[in-house]
Amino acid sequence: MICMAYARLLLPLVLVSLLPGCATFSRDGGFDQVASTVKAKTGKEIRWVKSEDERHALDARIAQLLQQPISVDDAVQIALLNNRGLQASYAELGISEADLVQAGRLPNPRFSMLRASRDGEYKIEQALTFNIFSLVTMPKATAIERRRFEQTQRQVSLEVLRLATATRKAYFSALAAAQSERYMQQVMRAAETSATLAQRMKKAGNWSTLDEAREQGFYADATLGASRARQASLQATEQLTRLMGLDHTHYTLPERMPDLPAHAEDPANLEQTALQQRMDVQMMKLQTEALAGQLGLTKTTRFINVLELGPARVLEGRRSDPYKNGVEISLEIPLFDWGSTRVARAESTYMQAVNQLAQVAVEARSEVREGYGRYRASYDIARQYRDSVVPIRQKIAEENQLRYNGMLVSVFDLLADARAQIASVNSYIEALRDFWLSQSDMEMALIGKPDFSTPASALTAQ
Amino acid sequence: MVSRRDFLKGASLAGVAATAATVSKVAMAALPEIISVSDADTQAPHMPDTGRPYNPVVTLNGWTLPWRMRNGVKEFHLVAEPVVRELAPGMKAHLWGYNGQSPGPTIEVVEGDRVRIYVTNRLPEHTSMHWHGQRLPNGMDGVTGLTQPGIKPGKTFAYEFVAQRAGTFMYHPHADEMTQMAMGMMGFWVTHPKNPATMAVDRDFVFLINAYDIDPGAYTPRINTMLNFNLWTFNSRVFPGISPMVVNQGDRVRIRVGNLSMTNHPIHIHGHEFMVTGTDGGWVPPSARWPEVTTDIAVGQMRALEFKADAPGDWAFHCHKSHHTMNAMGHDVPTMLGVEQRDLKQQLQGLLPDYMAMGQHGMADMAEMQMPLPDNTLPMMSGQGQFGGVEMGGMFTTVKIRKGIAKHDYRDPGHYQHPAGTVAWEVENDLPPVERPADTDAHGGVEVQVRKPGDHMQH
Repeated sequence: MICMAYARLLLPLVLVSLLPGCATFSRDGGFDQVASTVKAKTGKEIRWVKSEDERHALDARIAQLLQQPISVDDAVQIALLNNRGLQASYAELGISEADLVQAGRLPNPRFSMLRASRDGEYKIEQALTFNIFSLVTMPKATAIERRRFEQTQRQVSLEVLRLATATRKAYFSALAAAQSERYMQQVMRAAETSATLAQRMKKAGNWSTLDEAREQGFYADATLGASRARQASLQATEQLTRLMGLDHTHYTLPERMPDLPAHAEDPANLEQTALQQRMDVQMMKLQTEALAGQLGLTKTTRFINVLELGPARVLEGRRSDPYKNGVEISLEIPLFDWGSTRVARAESTYMQAVNQLAQVAVEARSEVREGYGRYRASYDIARQYRDSVVPIRQKIAEENQLRYNGMLVSVFDLLADARAQIASVNSYIEALRDFWLSQSDMEMALIGKPDFSTPASALTAQ
Repeated sequence: MVSRRDFLKGASLAGVAATAATVSKVAMAALPEIISVSDADTQAPHMPDTGRPYNPVVTLNGWTLPWRMRNGVKEFHLVAEPVVRELAPGMKAHLWGYNGQSPGPTIEVVEGDRVRIYVTNRLPEHTSMHWHGQRLPNGMDGVTGLTQPGIKPGKTFAYEFVAQRAGTFMYHPHADEMTQMAMGMMGFWVTHPKNPATMAVDRDFVFLINAYDIDPGAYTPRINTMLNFNLWTFNSRVFPGISPMVVNQGDRVRIRVGNLSMTNHPIHIHGHEFMVTGTDGGWVPPSARWPEVTTDIAVGQMRALEFKADAPGDWAFHCHKSHHTMNAMGHDVPTMLGVEQRDLKQQLQGLLPDYMAMGQHGMADMAEMQMPLPDNTLPMMSGQGQFGGVEMGGMFTTVKIRKGIAKHDYRDPGHYQHPAGTVAWEVENDLPPVERPADTDAHGGVEVQVRKPGDHMQH
């Protein structure tokens, strides 16, 4: 170790260390970037609530939105403003930005001192050292942290957009479930009327116990169906309530689901758009770039891990002897192979990321194809219900009514037919719901990993 | 009568057949022209203009086929073809028939006539003609496979024999009978006695009994139906589409009925009694005749009923099987008698906006209410008389007997004007309202709503 004492070197170094680094804390903590992404993709605004006043303002705004029957846009807006899980994820931004700022600052100078004495013999070493190599690595480290920060911004954006999609899906599920519940109650009323008439038929001596029991059986089944529909509706509503971050269900949904659009969308270059837009792809790309940067850094520093430089004073001998001034430089030299193992590790980590990126890209393309396929099929199914199945059932009901008029069929046939007709309308509602769910999934597939795992049928009463 | 236009139309159809069927021109020239009729009105009797004289019959909602005399032979030309038959105003059936109608035109000849009938087939499958009840050479009997090959589509066969026995006959195919008869292929044949004075009557009506199963809203009969027909017809017509039998008071009237349906029909007249004077086998000797008001006509049988129409009025004449005086009806519709529906009306109309309560007090609601029905479907009972709904359909018509109807006049004289005091009247009624205790029997909790006065028995 070289020991020198050189006090005047101290001041400029201290000054350098006090200079601001490349990064500082931003005014918005990176939130504006997230907010504008969300705005661009959904048209909705988000808020990072940091004070009680802000919270009160938000509560008032949500209360306002809840006064009318809420549209799907309202539901998404409420969820984006009110979901506490989202607020928690905004904190990630702060943490990540702190790392970034940290990376842009010089490390603190280090002062070391050794004092030893024996019989008037002293050894005093005083050294103020500063890692000057960090001046070399700082731009790279900052760039890495900046990418990390950008990654975090995308991560948070993705969470916001996921919540938006989940809320849309929950909204349509809840709406459809409520509509189904009403239809199932109609089915039950038809069966109840049949059963009442059957009782009277039996009482009048026109029908056997068997005939009566058959109608009672329909009624019992229809009652079960209505109960299941009620339960499914309750579950779907609570799911929506949770996503909107509400602690009550004192809100109303519209009577009907939005109509099927006149045409199914036929977007061009879906896969390319997905690769360009998907945040998971972008995040993996940023990670890969960061790792590439790190790899470069590792390569740069493979032999010189740490080079520290600082003024040092050494006193050796008697106390009255003068200090020797100098500069302390410490240098680690890779005596063994650890420098190359670090490079190998970094390379492997990089290649791992490269392959992960490739996989994410493959999945993204597949998911967007599947998403579109589901969207297209559900559109065609819903349209078939709307244009064919429901009108045909309606026509059958009308023709049956004419046959009833001619005493060609009985009121029981009409009621059974009414049940079938209601069921067809209910199937249309479910098909319409599936369309809106798959539409949300397809849009999600263009910006991130879609969730195909909650099939619509899981929410349907049997 | 057959119009000149119809004659021309028939002639042009024959021309079409000539090109289509590649029959030689010489052969075609030998064929009598085809005469066709498209409406279902009863036509006035066809007065014989050539050949032996006779007293013609009147075909209910039908007509008699004109003939030509050629070398002393009476020549007729029947064309088997798809036709549209109006079963009653508001309903048309897609049938197979002859010369534009189902049933085909009546053939009238005189005992001893040599008759040649050309049969041209314009159906999509082969056919034949069986002369039901005639004495004839075996090879003229018209049974495909047995006595002749089938007449292929587009082909013409000639049948020739002497009408040996006076009486009442039918003609129908004996090829794919199930289809062809279910589709309405049949016609009437009368062989008049040589002496027009024999068994002479003033009015001689003829019709065939047939039945169809046409789904409400459909047009073509279901040819596989065996018994559960929904349209029971006289000459492929149902009430109110069946013409009245118009008669001058005091006329001696004969009604000849042939049954080509798949069940028997007790044919019943009101206000008169008749004698069955003829069967398929010929005239019934006077000593063997039974006076009747209803006579059962079995499947494949003919009956000639005769009576003196001395009582003026509009007298019902119908099959006495009550379902046969109904049009299409739901045989599986449950009995709604005594089942209150009105209090459920609101709930029912919530689900079935056009629902009307029916059946609680009986089926007469049906005849009263004018409600929309499926296309091409008649109400199950309808027809208006001067006192309201007649509540009949199917095999129902009237014998309208009036004073002063001219000899060959068959026009509907309208409703009968009853002499004062001859119509059932309503009398004042101060009876206490009917009390029907809702007593139930011990076994099933069934409400017994009908009790005979003074009947204290529960069972």
